[in-house]
Amino acid sequence: MSAPALELRAVHKSFGKTAIINGVDLSIAKGERHAIIGPNGAGKSTLFNLISARFPLTSGDIVLHGEPVTGLPPQEINRRGLGRSFQITNIFPRLSVFENVRCAVLWSMGYRYSFWHRVSALRAVRERADEVVSLIGMERRRDRLAGVLSYAEQRALEIGVTVAGGADVILLDEPTAGMSRSETEDAVELIRTVSEGKTLVMVEHDMGVVFGLADRISVLVYGRVLASDVPTAIRSNKAVQEAYLGAED
Amino acid sequence: MTLSPFLRRLGLWGITALVMVVLPLLLRQGFALSMLSQMGIAVIFALSYNMLLGQTGMLSFGHAVYYGLGAYFSAHALNAIGAGKLGIPVTLLPLVGGVAGLSFGIVFGYVTTKRSGTPFAMISLGIAEMVAACALMFPGFFGGEGGIATNRQVGSAWLGITYGPQIQVYYLIAGWCLLSMIAMFALTHTPLGRMANAVRDNAERVRFVGYNPTRIRFMMLCLSTFFAGVAGGLGAINYELVTAENVGTVVSGNVLVMAFIGGVGHFFGPIIGAVLVSFLQSALSSYTQAWLLYFGLFFMVMVLFAPGGMASLIMIHAPVVRAKRMGTLALPYLVSGLLALVMLAGLVGLVEMIYFLETGAEVGKPLKLFGLALMPSTTGPWVGAMAVMLGGAAAFAWSLRLVRDAWARVHAYLQVQEGL
Repeated sequence: MSAPALELRAVHKSFGKTAIINGVDLSIAKGERHAIIGPNGAGKSTLFNLISARFPLTSGDIVLHGEPVTGLPPQEINRRGLGRSFQITNIFPRLSVFENVRCAVLWSMGYRYSFWHRVSALRAVRERADEVVSLIGMERRRDRLAGVLSYAEQRALEIGVTVAGGADVILLDEPTAGMSRSETEDAVELIRTVSEGKTLVMVEHDMGVVFGLADRISVLVYGRVLASDVPTAIRSNKAVQEAYLGAED
Repeated sequence: MTLSPFLRRLGLWGITALVMVVLPLLLRQGFALSMLSQMGIAVIFALSYNMLLGQTGMLSFGHAVYYGLGAYFSAHALNAIGAGKLGIPVTLLPLVGGVAGLSFGIVFGYVTTKRSGTPFAMISLGIAEMVAACALMFPGFFGGEGGIATNRQVGSAWLGITYGPQIQVYYLIAGWCLLSMIAMFALTHTPLGRMANAVRDNAERVRFVGYNPTRIRFMMLCLSTFFAGVAGGLGAINYELVTAENVGTVVSGNVLVMAFIGGVGHFFGPIIGAVLVSFLQSALSSYTQAWLLYFGLFFMVMVLFAPGGMASLIMIHAPVVRAKRMGTLALPYLVSGLLALVMLAGLVGLVEMIYFLETGAEVGKPLKLFGLALMPSTTGPWVGAMAVMLGGAAAFAWSLRLVRDAWARVHAYLQVQEGL
């Protein structure tokens, strides 16, 4: 069996004296759709920030495609195939939808810091960016400034920017938060499409979305993994019901 | 709308080049020629500044460091050519300035671009002060209080170009200005240029699409210091004198004001700003001692009411022009504009009378203003000027309603059109 796409080994994170993540071990197989659930303040977003190197770890190791990436800067981890979205929309407001996506494409196409290529002449870049724009269903908004889009559109663009660089491990932080029912359905379809053949890890509160999409679910409570299993097992897990799902009854 | 964007752009550069060639032939006075030369240098400098502020979101208070050091190195190179120790043509001298600017950009930029936002602005100010202090500490290189004087009529004259007459210097500046404008515009359309905009918008997100924002800021600063140095080199040729003021904070502040007044959000904004500010500085200063006060008021009005600069004022009219609806706005604009002039005339009257009294006017002599002979020692002119200013202000405030109504009609029309 090949190495897992993403592995967390004894990951700890403290802010000052407050321990937020208390030793998380997690292994996510290639091609798996993995959801992380848990009550507010359980450390789900922090975990994402550690994996993507937005914050440094206090201790532990993060392994991407079998190689340790602990301590590398975020851009280096992104170049190794990890893309992430943000819970609070985090795009380039004064660039158009197309340009937002193109920014996310450029590095992976090898143009790096070039100041000798005319970007409009790079056909492969344009085609890839347009492909992503239509993937997220925004052809009609292609040349709009991202800052003036509706909330749901910005969320879709957020996902587009996350996947455009061809990352094979995709981290989505609450992709459907604040959406209406029909918008959520569209978002789920979009997530299903963009994560096809890739490894997906997502933090999500909407249990309909979680149980509809995930192959496996991890439950995070107080910075620890309470359980990590297939959805049916999670649903019938006593500890999980008490700690979290039980609240629905 | 049948022309491709490339051809349209080519045409635009062609027209720009033509204007640059023809302008000095139309304005034949020596005054105009030296002003045009000054404008050309300012355009390069302001555009290079906007590579930082407008394109990468870096507010620098020390851009004159690279302009000034470029100018100093060019002046020394020019003197070396004169002494027969250096064999490059004067035409290529701005490259010396550019390389000097770039070299210091690499050294200082490596430190300053580690930070962004306010810390970057503060460090840039610190470096500016440091270099300004050095200028007085090392008189051998900086020439102390007197600066470094030079002579541009050196080296072998190629095709009879000696750079003696100002017109030849003007065309040298115009040529470098056009090349620099095209290069800096082209840069905005490269991967680095586009990612600089992304850093401006949201530096954190840039890290998660594979780029290092520090590296982007550093590279943009280096390229920008090259063009600042080119402008400095042209300055050395044009003025034949480089003083410590050239690296100082006044020049740094001036380029910020130019970029801001012109508009940092559009590529052509700083061009307008550089031309306008250079014009005001040389034209206004020859008319009135109070020109700095007027200039300051103008800057304040722009910051308060048109923070996007001249460029944004122009660009909000683009859809109106396309829809052929400028006619709706023309009359309100004309009325408001005339009333603003009335208000301004009253203000100018007051300011000029104060200056007239303060700067020790000869007793009994009248102040000549707008074709009137005013006696500031009597109350009449003061009451009159005050009345004109306040009356003008009240009428102007009223006329703004006309402008607002006209805009509302235009907006409604544009919305209907967009819906179709």
